[in-house]
Amino acid sequence: MMRIRSPKNFWAGLFFIAVALGFILLSRKYATGSMHRMGPGLFPILVSVLLASLGLIIAARAFAVDGPPVPRFHARPIVISLAGIALFGIALAHLGLIAAVAVLVLVGAVASRESRPLETVGLVVVLIAFSAGVFVWLLGLPIQLWPDT
Amino acid sequence: METLGNLAFGLGVALSWQNLIYCFVGCFLGTLVGVLPGIGPVATVAMLLPFTFGLGPAPALIMLAGIYYGAQYGGSTTAILVNIPGESSSVVTTLDGHQMARRGRAGPALGIAAIGSFIAGCIATLVVAFFAPPLAELALKFGPAEYFSLMVFGLIAAVVLARGSVIKAIAMVCFGILLGLVGTDVNSGTIRFGFGQPELTDGIGFVALAMAFFGITDVVANLEHKDRTDVYGDRLGRVLPSWEDMRVSFWSIMRGTALGSILGILPGGGALLASFAAYMFEKKIAKPPRTFGEGDIRGVAAPESANNAGAQTSFIPMLTLGIPSNPTMALMIGALMIQGIAPGPQVMTERPELFWGLVASMWIGNLMLLVLNLPLIGLWVQLLAVPYRLLYPAIFVFCCIGVFTVDAKIFDIYMLASLSAVAYVLFKLDCEPAPLILGFILGPMMEEQMRRAMMINFGDVTIFLSRPISACFLIAAVAMMLLIAIPSLRAKREVAMQE
Repeated sequence: MMRIRSPKNFWAGLFFIAVALGFILLSRKYATGSMHRMGPGLFPILVSVLLASLGLIIAARAFAVDGPPVPRFHARPIVISLAGIALFGIALAHLGLIAAVAVLVLVGAVASRESRPLETVGLVVVLIAFSAGVFVWLLGLPIQLWPDT
Repeated sequence: METLGNLAFGLGVALSWQNLIYCFVGCFLGTLVGVLPGIGPVATVAMLLPFTFGLGPAPALIMLAGIYYGAQYGGSTTAILVNIPGESSSVVTTLDGHQMARRGRAGPALGIAAIGSFIAGCIATLVVAFFAPPLAELALKFGPAEYFSLMVFGLIAAVVLARGSVIKAIAMVCFGILLGLVGTDVNSGTIRFGFGQPELTDGIGFVALAMAFFGITDVVANLEHKDRTDVYGDRLGRVLPSWEDMRVSFWSIMRGTALGSILGILPGGGALLASFAAYMFEKKIAKPPRTFGEGDIRGVAAPESANNAGAQTSFIPMLTLGIPSNPTMALMIGALMIQGIAPGPQVMTERPELFWGLVASMWIGNLMLLVLNLPLIGLWVQLLAVPYRLLYPAIFVFCCIGVFTVDAKIFDIYMLASLSAVAYVLFKLDCEPAPLILGFILGPMMEEQMRRAMMINFGDVTIFLSRPISACFLIAAVAMMLLIAIPSLRAKREVAMQE
């Protein structure tokens, strides 16, 4: 029976094939033109075909050559970090920078088991002061600090 | 002589009070962030990019270059004191540098790294000043076919000379090119892969992309391991190396500089390859007593000089051809584009103050690093003691604010989150992020040049092989691929990258 000997490469190959197929599917909406007058769809399709073939080779080789297993996915750090960043965006749009920094640091701190509550609160204060002071006041970047009234 | 005149002109630009201050601030911030373990130069430059938005092109570029050297130097400090290379190019520095620190010679190790980098920087600046103009002149003669082939060559070379699987790296280049094509197509005005989102008409923000792959992913990867630091900073020893140290390492510095200057020009080479090659070379030819791996000062002097020389000469392809040879240079090109400047050979003739000002500031930046680092080493050591649990939320904050300030678009922050998810999966599957960034920057340029080449040659694809310069680039690219496929050479490459 065929056995996957290099799971990392197998999944990487599949990932690339999926990406390439997605781009080919989307590119079909755009005119391809001819080689002389290349349309907006042609170059992406050419690159996607190359990517799909590379993905196929990578995945196929995974059956022939031994390789490392896919390492464990630790859900906590990545999920919490992404959530923190997304919440930063939502908070920045509606509540301004000060609330956004607070949300990001408070949520982000959960990503590590070593965070301590009191320290985190202190960090919130320091980072709010720093980002408001440096980015808004010193560099004059157009960022809203407080919610609209 | 003309070069010297130009250099003097550049010094005039770089020595204005304003630019001196930006250069200093850049070096300082770069070192400050670079010292923090787990933050490489790419993440550092990306994170500090917003600081340059309010400036004109010349001061912005000068400050960014300062940030880059500072980050490089900061990375070496972490390598020596904590045994965590801040970036791939200081991996070899950990071998002997950390051993020196363990033996109570952290001071001289840091000192020789600074002095070696300074000497290398001075010489590499001259190399840039003398070699960049003729190369730019040559590049001005290139037609679209030559440019396209040159970019193919550059990408292949970057992939072959970097570590990891070549085929996966080429796949990452393709993925990067496709991501780079998102947005409005300049030729037809069609919005490609926009999913009806008006925010995507300008394409994916490259700062968000770089932060996702080099900032957020690194933090998450660090969080998956336990916080472990053993700093050897309490016994710094004297910082200035003794005369004996200087005498022993002088020629190592010179050899490192020479190797670094040459390898830095190659696409994909840059600082990483330079430091590896210099260390190997030193190990081979050093006169006894050879104590490499046990804290030999030559094992710090050579790679540190080489990586600084390489970091500097890697500006040559970026400035003259508009082609990035590593992710940091890709960021520099992105920064230039934000400033409204199209990188390429015309920059040197159209914006001489930009080019020569930058070259001169390279030298000044190196001097500042020396002045900054020798007395401030104590401060950097203190910084190393900051626990990661306090550091990483700050990195998140700076990444998010940095991404937002590029265009003041909230959408870019959501983009950062989504790209980080993709980056994390690819990281787990051992796909190197550097080729993706290069593809992202070069993708739209490649499409443009290919279209032009096809347009003037009536769709005849053989043009890439019938024009001699273009054919040379393509043949060289294929030759490199074949070389790497030869088993014995491949084994050698893997050994070199492992060590």
